[in-house]
Amino acid sequence: MSETLIEIDDLKKVFYTDEVETHALAGVHLTIRRGEYVAMSGPSGCGKSTLLSILGLLDTPTGGRYLLNEKPVENLSFGERSRIRNQEIGFIFQSFNLIGDLSVEENVELPLTYRAGMPSAERKKRVKEALERVNMGHRMRHYPAQLSGGQQQRVAVARALAGSPSILLADEPTGNLDSKNGEAVMHLLADLHKEGSTICMVTHDSRFARQAQREVHLFDGKVVSETELKKLTEEQEG
Amino acid sequence: MLKDLRYAVRQLRKSPGFTLTVILTLALGIGANTAIFTLVQSILLRSLPVVNPAQLYRIGDNDDCCVNGGFPGGATDTGDMTIFSYDLYKHLRASAPEFEPMAAVQAGIWDWSLRRGNEQAKSVKGEFVSGNLFQALGIRPFAGRLFTDSDDRTGAAPALVMSYKTWQGEYASDPSIVGSTIYLQTKPFTVIGVTPPGFFGDRVTDSPPDVWMPLHTEPYVRGDISILHQHNLHWLYLLGRVRPGTSIPALQARVSAAMRQWMMTEPTLTANGGAGLIPKMHVVLTPAGGGIQNLQQQTGKGLKLLMMLSLLVLLITCANIANLMLVRTTTRRAEIAVRVALGAGRRWIIRQILTESVLLSLVGGAMGLVVAFAGSQMILALAFPDARNLPISASPSLPVLGFAFLVSLLTGVLFGLGPAWLSSHAQPAEALRGVNRATHDRSALPQKVLVVLQAALSVVLLAGAVMTTRSLMNLEKQNFGVVTADRYVLHFDPAGAGYTQENFQSLYREIEQRFSALPGMEHVGLATYSPLEGDNWGECVIQQGHPAPRPGDDCFSTWDRVSTGFLDSIGVPIVQGRNFNEQDVTGAPQVVVVNQAFVKRFFPKGNPIGQHFGIDDVKYSGAFEIVGVFRDFKMNDLRGEVHPVYLRPLRQMFTGYTDANDISAESSSMNVNAILLEFNRPQANVDTLARRTLQGINPNLTVRDLRSFGSQVAGNFDQERLIARLSALFGVLALLLASVGLYGVMSYLVAQRTSEIGIRMALGATRTNVVRLVMAGALAQLAVGLAIGIPAAWLAGRLMAEQLYNVSAADPVALVSATAALTLCAALAGFLPARRAASVDPMQALRTE
Repeated sequence: MSETLIEIDDLKKVFYTDEVETHALAGVHLTIRRGEYVAMSGPSGCGKSTLLSILGLLDTPTGGRYLLNEKPVENLSFGERSRIRNQEIGFIFQSFNLIGDLSVEENVELPLTYRAGMPSAERKKRVKEALERVNMGHRMRHYPAQLSGGQQQRVAVARALAGSPSILLADEPTGNLDSKNGEAVMHLLADLHKEGSTICMVTHDSRFARQAQREVHLFDGKVVSETELKKLTEEQEG
Repeated sequence: MLKDLRYAVRQLRKSPGFTLTVILTLALGIGANTAIFTLVQSILLRSLPVVNPAQLYRIGDNDDCCVNGGFPGGATDTGDMTIFSYDLYKHLRASAPEFEPMAAVQAGIWDWSLRRGNEQAKSVKGEFVSGNLFQALGIRPFAGRLFTDSDDRTGAAPALVMSYKTWQGEYASDPSIVGSTIYLQTKPFTVIGVTPPGFFGDRVTDSPPDVWMPLHTEPYVRGDISILHQHNLHWLYLLGRVRPGTSIPALQARVSAAMRQWMMTEPTLTANGGAGLIPKMHVVLTPAGGGIQNLQQQTGKGLKLLMMLSLLVLLITCANIANLMLVRTTTRRAEIAVRVALGAGRRWIIRQILTESVLLSLVGGAMGLVVAFAGSQMILALAFPDARNLPISASPSLPVLGFAFLVSLLTGVLFGLGPAWLSSHAQPAEALRGVNRATHDRSALPQKVLVVLQAALSVVLLAGAVMTTRSLMNLEKQNFGVVTADRYVLHFDPAGAGYTQENFQSLYREIEQRFSALPGMEHVGLATYSPLEGDNWGECVIQQGHPAPRPGDDCFSTWDRVSTGFLDSIGVPIVQGRNFNEQDVTGAPQVVVVNQAFVKRFFPKGNPIGQHFGIDDVKYSGAFEIVGVFRDFKMNDLRGEVHPVYLRPLRQMFTGYTDANDISAESSSMNVNAILLEFNRPQANVDTLARRTLQGINPNLTVRDLRSFGSQVAGNFDQERLIARLSALFGVLALLLASVGLYGVMSYLVAQRTSEIGIRMALGATRTNVVRLVMAGALAQLAVGLAIGIPAAWLAGRLMAEQLYNVSAADPVALVSATAALTLCAALAGFLPARRAASVDPMQALRTE
């Protein structure tokens, strides 16, 4: 059995707006092991993105426990969370989120520049390797606007890889791509997984979800089984 | 860091409109401050260009210029002596060996006539100084040599030192000047040397000396009106280099004691109760590294006020740019959220935003130097319109460059800090869910706060501008009591052309005749001092039958020696008795005409005509008979009440004096300096006409100065005019910046609320409702700004009170007009975005959402 990378227990997230309390996550239990490829799916508003935000330390939970590499991370300071995000987590966003003013090389280098003490030569080496890994080494000097959507997402994957993170968190990575480019990105993720990367992907496309090792279904802020999800969805629609 | 800088440059290049706006705004803000600082540095902070200026100390701490008898100036009230006679200087010099050495310089820098060979005589500024002055200052000659003690003793050959600027400007850097003979007031002097470039004397002044002469040549130059050996006439400032390690308080006490000891031996000071005043007499030793501080004391408050006003402009500039940066930062929220999501700490985000703001401010600062140079030139021209060889340069010096750099840096940090702080609190989760889903815009409140701040500061600046402008208008439009239209004042120097007591009268007669014969000439007047020229002569008046006034008694009256046509030439009528006539000559009864203030002060009861008074001693109290009273006019003090003035006829000397000093003073008063000309219509070529007429009498008669009477009066308000114009400029700039700031924020808010406005309109809101909604927001910010700004303006008015004339700190005109101007501009700045909001297509707005 491989070691546990992420362990969350009774995780809750409540949003307060005026007089309304919205329970985005209502006691989620989840474990992700190192080297695992997990897909999270569920209908709109089920809390997928909220859970991914908390997993990626972009947001903090209202309650519950979150262990990353066996260390509690739910109550860290802003700076500490920044450091962990930078070193342990690689993000792949639905809308790529490349910075238009930076070249492909600079975009990929960006998370490394926030790492104090990494020499420039080391950064350049990692950037080159990451871009070659996603077959974008020939586009280093280009700017995002000069690339297709699929190419932009590959650059975003390279940016996520460059820091050698413990886990890649992908939020609907094919959401803004056509089917051909979507397939290509999914192949890339599958290859990365085969090479040992831990991946947690949010998707509502069941085809892509099935490519993962394990599927986690969310409904109304809770993890449910596939059978339960079907039943609940039918009840809602019925 | 280099990466941050590169990225910052790229960001700024991407938004040329924003970048240009910010740089220009900064250039104005930083430029205004740097221009004022150029002046502050040149006048208030600069050291004399001498060796180790920190060792220099002056004995004395105020002006009290230029020749004073008895206890000078305010010394009777405060006991503070600041100006000294030559005899007292010698005594103090001998008593205080800690000065190595103690030097003396003439308090007033006077005009002299200077001629080389057969050249046309020039009017120059000259100063009598002790032979050890240059040694005390530690300067070396550029050419020849400078004075030593041996040049400043009886019997020494008359020597003269020339300034580098004068040598360069007036004598074309002629190397043969050293060793040549030059005539000062027709007396031959040998030019022994030229001072080094950059040296401008013992003080910062708009008219530094062109030449220096040893004290002992003063009797040689001035003959029977010399003051060098008059014990009771104080006309020298003392300064020197104090031996290192000397205790200044102890030295001050020793010099004070030595001075009191000398005073006790002076009958003119001990008489009439004066001995009782001597124990409180003292001196104050002040650092003199910056030279004699007269100009600093005159302009210090005004300069500090201008510095404060320009700092307010800079604050508004910062608030304005911070607002622009906030708007810009908001548009970059997505990018910043991604950076934060990728692990950028707050430090990184703050550094990036600050790099951009500091880069902007440094570029703005560099451009501000150009603005500062142009601004300084304009300010110098306004502040010192008549300056010759002004030792103040508009070119930025090292300290000015340092100031501009520091201000730019601080400005960059100041306006970058808010946006940087807000950016550093970007929600990284926005990278996932997208910024458009964010419901809370953290920058809206700071933006409004910045607009409120700008509005408040603008009210202060606008009200300040109105107050200083109204004060200037009150000064300029006040009733001076004289008529200035078609009148001119010509200053000249008969003694400089070789005239003496023997031929003064014939010269004056010829002047009156020749000028009166000019076409269109109405009246010609001659006077020792013309009204409002900035110089005057005061004496203690003793009414016949009254005891001698005690020191400190209010017995002073301004007096002037004038020709028969003087009062007519300045448009002042006789209100009682008669004016002078041709019979008022030496030998005839001594007559005077006095002003109404004189009558009120000295002869409040009964008819003043026929009353007698004198000066200096009770035995002379019957010397002058009042034959006429003229209407009050302002002779010198423009801000205060009209002081007592008496006039004596030009052709009538009092021959009854027995004391040598009195005889000398009486003789000195016959040396007329001003010709007043009244034409019956506007004249186009007065300058040529007047110079030609004067030189027709004697080619050696030089015109020191010729200007319209109006311009002479206006010259008294140079500093007030400078402050009024600059504060008006700053006020307009502030109004403009505040309006742009409000417009920017309202435009941004309207853009942010497009969908909300669309929904409102879809639900039935009319265009008027929308305009009202937006305008209410703009006016609310304005209202808060006014609520803070009006009391602040009132407080600022209290701080400025000393600079104001007949304007109260809570001047309603200033407060109302500032409020009205700001409200008008704010309404316009709010209306444009409101109109844009009202033209939103609801369908389009909802589709965008």
